[in-house]
Amino acid sequence: MLANLAGIPSLNEIRGFLLMSRRSNLNKSITLSIRRFFIEDGAYLVMLAPLLIFVIVVAIYPLFFSFRISLFEYRLTDPNQTQTFVGFQNYVRAFSDQVVKSSLITTLIYVAGTVSIELLLGLGLALLLGAETQIARVIRSFLLMPMALPPLVVGLVWKALYNADFGVIPYYLKLAGFNVGRGPLAELNLAMPAVILVDVWQWTPLLMVIFLAGLKSLPTEPYEAAIVDGASRWQSFFYITLPLLKPTFLIALLLRTMQSFKVFDTIYATTGGGPGSQTTVLNFHIYTVGMTFFQMGYAAALANILLVVVAILSILYIMVLERQQL
Amino acid sequence: MKKTLLEKVILTVLTILVVLFFMIPIYWLITTSFKFGREAFAIPPKWFVFDFTLKNYYEALTQVKTTRFILNSVIITTGATLLSLVLGVPAGYAIARSRSRLLNISSYFFLLLLMVPPVAMLIPFYLIMRDVQLLGTYAAVIILDTVFDASFVVWMMRSYFSDVPREMEEAALVDGASHLGAFLKVALPLSVPGIVASALYVIIYSWNDFLFALMLTSPKTKTIPLGILASFSAVEIGWGRMAAMSVFAIIPAVIISLFLNRYFVQGLTLGATKG
Repeated sequence: MLANLAGIPSLNEIRGFLLMSRRSNLNKSITLSIRRFFIEDGAYLVMLAPLLIFVIVVAIYPLFFSFRISLFEYRLTDPNQTQTFVGFQNYVRAFSDQVVKSSLITTLIYVAGTVSIELLLGLGLALLLGAETQIARVIRSFLLMPMALPPLVVGLVWKALYNADFGVIPYYLKLAGFNVGRGPLAELNLAMPAVILVDVWQWTPLLMVIFLAGLKSLPTEPYEAAIVDGASRWQSFFYITLPLLKPTFLIALLLRTMQSFKVFDTIYATTGGGPGSQTTVLNFHIYTVGMTFFQMGYAAALANILLVVVAILSILYIMVLERQQL
Repeated sequence: MKKTLLEKVILTVLTILVVLFFMIPIYWLITTSFKFGREAFAIPPKWFVFDFTLKNYYEALTQVKTTRFILNSVIITTGATLLSLVLGVPAGYAIARSRSRLLNISSYFFLLLLMVPPVAMLIPFYLIMRDVQLLGTYAAVIILDTVFDASFVVWMMRSYFSDVPREMEEAALVDGASHLGAFLKVALPLSVPGIVASALYVIIYSWNDFLFALMLTSPKTKTIPLGILASFSAVEIGWGRMAAMSVFAIIPAVIISLFLNRYFVQGLTLGATKG
């Protein structure tokens, strides 16, 4: 009964209720919870079980497997496939590895650069194109395209646009009097901004979409009050819109940060981590260690460190989402 | 609060700049696919007037196994989409409807799974697939895609079902339907828009996947992004052909963002911002 107060009790439940009303209260609640567990939760459990089993087998097991591998020295190309137990040495090595350190710094620059620019531009786009006019709607749907494109194709297109000899971008930069050297992707100080621009091009529209949803859910009363009080548009933006958008901002920030940490395709297609290791983000470095140098144990250890970093961010994200609901 | 003329002009100019910035790379890609090699990289660039040719498409379809790559992409995308919907939609429903705290919390488990860096999953998965002799098969990519796809579907459908009133299902239960029957006959038909939204997201995700396919496919099961990359590095000046193959690769993105954008946006925002 308790369980179904909101809805209409089924015939069975009414019958059960009549039967149980003769028994003691304690007895009643026990039978009810057992009944609920076996019939209702049982049915739901059956619907959830296939996915749960699938995920445990193909996702949770590999993650444990990855932890095991990370405790071994294991070279994939070794003809004998020897795996030597080395304990936590791979982790110790990771923390003292200069390459890892520099790729971590590169990752932080990439994440900070992409996420901050995309947040600002995304909010700008949402404000610019938020109107419910036909033309704004058409432009918005065109702007959805970049984020739906394969990141690899996006990377290759920009690589062509950036090409020093026949690319469009260096051509116009040269016309404007800039020296582009070997092209934006090959110059040490230009490679990172150039790659960030590709990311900004692809993912700013996602933030526009999220901010549009956030703006739409804002209450109208504060704005009406502001008009009555004679506030300017800028004032109502800074003192009403921005504070009210804080939760959306936080969600967008965490979501994009997590995604940005995982960048791979864009780097692979444009610079391949270069020039030097200017754009070798951690994710790309792990791939290189594992799949180019075949040091599976070390790669797994690095991947697990990245996993922990992203997991902490994810838990923060979940906590923010939870608070949102209250 | 009326906008002045100056403000209107500034906003219009800004809008034009935004549209140019986001559309030029796509315009460049599509026009390059119709250009001859020498014109593709003419200096100064030929934006509007050039000799139109279908040579790149002809080459992409005859000299490179583009049709094979597309077919492989279609097989993997279809497999991952169907599997993740079959596994994910009932699970999302169960989480949304159950009053058990344990089941409710399990949705966060799927959200966490969605956040796992692909490379962290890939290394062990590659070794496991090698040991069970599935490396290079469609199944390997489909299974790994489905981990992420299905986790998204659960998260998305849970939000969606929470907004569908449960009264009708409860009426069906009173009429003697089982919980499974109430789900299949009442809740499922009501939630078609939500299923479409999650399916579109999942289709895009699987179609665009590069890293998993890079590690898990063989030459026979290569998907279109890999095909583009391979044909590109194999030939010195393969830009035109690369563009033609890329146009095939962006068809789903174009269709979904221009014609099904209502569902796509729903998938993006509901999945991202609703707890």
